[in-house]
Amino acid sequence: MMDRGTKAQKYVWEGAIPLQIHLHESEVTTLPPPSPALILAPRIGYLPLLVPQIKPFFSSSLPPGVDTVWFEYKGLPLKWYLPTGVLFDILCAKPERPWNLTVHFRGYPGSILTPCESEDNVKWSFINSLKEAAYIINGNCKNIMNMSQSDQVELWNSVVNGNLEAFIRVSSKLKLGIGGDEFSDKLSSLKSPQSATETDNTGLVKTGRIPVRLYVCSIHENFDDLEDAPHIDSWDKISYINRPVDVLGEGKCFTLLDAVKTLLPEFFAEKSSTNEDISGAEVGDESRSPSEHGSNTGTAEEVGETLCRQEGSDSLSDKAEIKLLRIQGIKPKLEIPFAWVVNNLINPEHFLHICVYVRVLEPITI
Amino acid sequence: MLKFQFDSINMSQDEIAMNAIKHALKALRKRHLLEEGAHAPALIALSRPLASQGSVWKEKVENLEVELQQYYKAQSRLSDQLVVEVADSRASKALLQEKEATILDLQNELTKARDECAQLTVVLEEKSQALELVISENQELKTQFEEMTVRAKNAEAENKTLIDRWMLQKMQDAERLNEVNALYEDMLDQLKARGIEQLARQQVDGVVRRSEEGAEYFAESIIPHGSNHKIPAHEGGCAAIVFENNSGRLVSGGQDQTIKMWDTNTGSLCHTLHGCRGSILDLTITHDNKSIIVASSSSSLYVWDVSSGNIRHTLTGHTDKVCAVDGSKVSRSHIVSAAYDRTIKVWDLQKGYCINTLIFHSNCNALCFSMDGQTICSGHVDGNLRLWNIQTGKLLSEVAAHSLAVTSISLSRNGNVLLTSGRDNLHNLFDVRSLEVCGTLRASGNRVASNWSRSCISPDDNYVAGGSADGSVYIWSILKGNIVSTLKEHSASVLCCSWSGLGKPLASSDKNGIVCTWT
Repeated sequence: MMDRGTKAQKYVWEGAIPLQIHLHESEVTTLPPPSPALILAPRIGYLPLLVPQIKPFFSSSLPPGVDTVWFEYKGLPLKWYLPTGVLFDILCAKPERPWNLTVHFRGYPGSILTPCESEDNVKWSFINSLKEAAYIINGNCKNIMNMSQSDQVELWNSVVNGNLEAFIRVSSKLKLGIGGDEFSDKLSSLKSPQSATETDNTGLVKTGRIPVRLYVCSIHENFDDLEDAPHIDSWDKISYINRPVDVLGEGKCFTLLDAVKTLLPEFFAEKSSTNEDISGAEVGDESRSPSEHGSNTGTAEEVGETLCRQEGSDSLSDKAEIKLLRIQGIKPKLEIPFAWVVNNLINPEHFLHICVYVRVLEPITI
Repeated sequence: MLKFQFDSINMSQDEIAMNAIKHALKALRKRHLLEEGAHAPALIALSRPLASQGSVWKEKVENLEVELQQYYKAQSRLSDQLVVEVADSRASKALLQEKEATILDLQNELTKARDECAQLTVVLEEKSQALELVISENQELKTQFEEMTVRAKNAEAENKTLIDRWMLQKMQDAERLNEVNALYEDMLDQLKARGIEQLARQQVDGVVRRSEEGAEYFAESIIPHGSNHKIPAHEGGCAAIVFENNSGRLVSGGQDQTIKMWDTNTGSLCHTLHGCRGSILDLTITHDNKSIIVASSSSSLYVWDVSSGNIRHTLTGHTDKVCAVDGSKVSRSHIVSAAYDRTIKVWDLQKGYCINTLIFHSNCNALCFSMDGQTICSGHVDGNLRLWNIQTGKLLSEVAAHSLAVTSISLSRNGNVLLTSGRDNLHNLFDVRSLEVCGTLRASGNRVASNWSRSCISPDDNYVAGGSADGSVYIWSILKGNIVSTLKEHSASVLCCSWSGLGKPLASSDKNGIVCTWT
């Protein structure tokens, strides 16, 4: 693996969401009310880490008392232990830039959110996730437990400051490598013609278990445009699946679609059969074609849109339909090799966060 | 934007994958452009001017603050100085006032001092006059003092001579005192020696006595101090009492012509012997206690057998009252009697008649046998003591014992000392061998009652008992020669004393016929 990280990794680490943060009306004590704060939030970061930056904007207009900061998007309190990018991806089906959030300094909704008193809580949440990931990968979490204090601090600082090089340096000691991904190499080889004939790969990754966090938003009504996607006003509407993916060393390339199938077998059990039936007739159906090596190419956006439309048209016969699959703010093609995804798009705690919008059909409508 | 169209069926998996990856990369780049790429510069630009403006203003504010602080400092310094100077000026003002006040005070003091000075000069003049007077006085006193010193010297010299004389006297006194002390020590030594001597004698006496005949009866005599019995024994006086040899039984004879025998332990009467005509003047018991011989005023002697109580003999031959009788201490048969017919007769009781008659011109009042029974001692009215040999009837020796008539004569138990009593109220002790007086006993109130007042020696030869006309009985110690006891019980003149051979009691009889026993 390159010391400085791949280009994709750099994008992931540099990724930041412009936020426009408003102070909640109930906590405004000055006239005129303070202007909203504009700030860039790193995607791999966490919301509480922004508090020191936000506080000066509003400190003058806050009522006296102890501050317990929490954020809200359209009435939904945001879980602080999810990376900011994940929150953005799952809650804004149609990306909203800048993202309008409301900040609260009082009235912490203890019934919905777990308490977060300081940056340390975030840190320990991060370390725990890291342990979980290590357990899934190696079957134990010794490496994390035995990490020296200085390494721990450096790791955390690298995450807070978005320092990819430092992160790679520290995390390489943890031996959480998921295995080679020849596609990155190949990509670079394509770009550099000198080493064009370097490898003839088999499209394999080493077998292993990949820690994945899957956020599934089930929607009942159909919609064509993402802007029409229903607003999520409760965490109950998002099912949270924490399931490792076994990467099997089969002869063929293990794609993102294969991974999603193992993660959501209930949606694909019948679908796969129907897909195979249909596959012959319809080529380029994004959601089914990867298994049959059929692919429609285009930009992610376009593909997504067409996919939605096509799916929408086809879904009448299916129980469920994946409307949207988003990783790190992009909609990758489903035939993309899972190994590349894992290597390039994982978050620093070694979890791959996948956000999925699924349209589930009412049994009655069938 | 690029578009890839791979419709070839032969398109390998790799290509599909590569395409997907490329697509993903593009999407990432696009996302980047839309999000951070688009907004970051604007946000940075927004935040920067504010910061820079702020910094300029801040600088200015800081500068101004520094200036202000400097001004404050300067002001504070000035105000401090002002305070100090004000304080100084106040202090100096106060000082000035003080000094003015002191000047006034000093002026006042000066005037006072001047006045005082004038007064003092006046006083000084007075004093100097006084001093002159004093000096003259002093001279007078000095002359007086010299005189006195001269006188004192004279007195001292006199004193010295006196002291010398006094010292001399003292030394003489001391010498005298030393002499006296030496004398005293001598006397003490003598006393001690005598004490030792006496002790030795007593011890020797005891030893000798114990080896003598009849030692088994020896008992130490007790000095009688109190009356034991008071017996009205006879009517009209009791002139003769005698204890049986070595017995407590007392035999008394009175003017009522009876002989009575008493148990002195109980004070009770044992026998009464009748048959005598005339009052009884003297009686004796033979040494075997079998016979009682009585001398009566009827000129005869009566001999009783004690066991039967009958008269065995009536010895006649005297022509006047028989006043004394004694029995031999070795023979049962020999007795002597003295009567107022100027004769002393020796009788043999076996035969019952007189075996010898001694005639002398002076009547005999008392007599006694010597220890060996060969010699009799007789006390006469002319005050002389005479010794006679009864075999030959010759006068052996003669000594003047008393200035008046001898009333009693008795021999000590050891036979060495003879006690005589006389109407000169003395009791004399004679050494039988040399016939020298070895002791004279007297008492201030002692008056011998009659011509036949009998005194006695205690059985241990240490004491002498004698009666007085005033009714008291005196006990003398032979060794010390002083009265050891005075017994007062009798109301009439005491006629006779007899000491029991057991050492006690002592019996005495008086003119009223009363017999007292003493222990």
